[in-house]
Amino acid sequence: MKSLRWCLVAASLCVSACTAVAPYQRGYLARDDMALEGNPGFAKAIEKTFAAKEAASGGAAVGGGGCGCN
Amino acid sequence: MRALACAIALALSPCALALEAGAPLPDLAIARLEEPAQSLSLASLKGSVVYVDFWASWCVPCRLSMPALDALYKQNRARGFAVVGVNKDVAAADARRFLAKVPVTFTLVIDSQDAVARAFDVKAMPSGYLVDRKGVVRKVHRGFTAETAETLAREVEALLKEPS
Repeated sequence: MKSLRWCLVAASLCVSACTAVAPYQRGYLARDDMALEGNPGFAKAIEKTFAAKEAASGGAAVGGGGCGCN
Repeated sequence: MRALACAIALALSPCALALEAGAPLPDLAIARLEEPAQSLSLASLKGSVVYVDFWASWCVPCRLSMPALDALYKQNRARGFAVVGVNKDVAAADARRFLAKVPVTFTLVIDSQDAVARAFDVKAMPSGYLVDRKGVVRKVHRGFTAETAETLAREVEALLKEPS
């Protein structure tokens, strides 16, 4: 039973869908439409406004006391 | 426990040893970018100082490295310096679009099946392998900055002065 459990662990590791992407295979990942944010400048502005209005100091990054001045 | 060890070994199995200084240049025949039916044999370059550069249109530092390598090539090709640009784009059309903006005169080859990149075990983009006249890798450059261009020019100069 114990060996079966180990076999299951080993099998689950082997059939994992995760794979390492080599640096030279990043052509698809480097495409604009693969970016987490389509418009990084706009996303940064929204993030700053949110942190200021919600007084969410350090919510998305460090610094800020809700004044929106940094 | 043995099964777990096997699983870890399997997970790590794709890891290969990177090509480093002191290793011989792999003897590969690589399809040319413009004429894929024709291939370039790396062994045929023995006797020249060779810089094998892995590049792609999506690789930001390649926009700096390609003109710098082309200038170095033009300056030293008569003395026995060759540059081989191994393209790593998903589609050759991407490479051609890049080359229309950043034209180069050195030899370009394409590695669509990743065989060449695997043989060199490329760890970063761009990666460059400077090979001496005897076919031995002497320097490996990972990434590219203005400083790399200066260092490379000095290294090429030193290798060109070495006897074949």
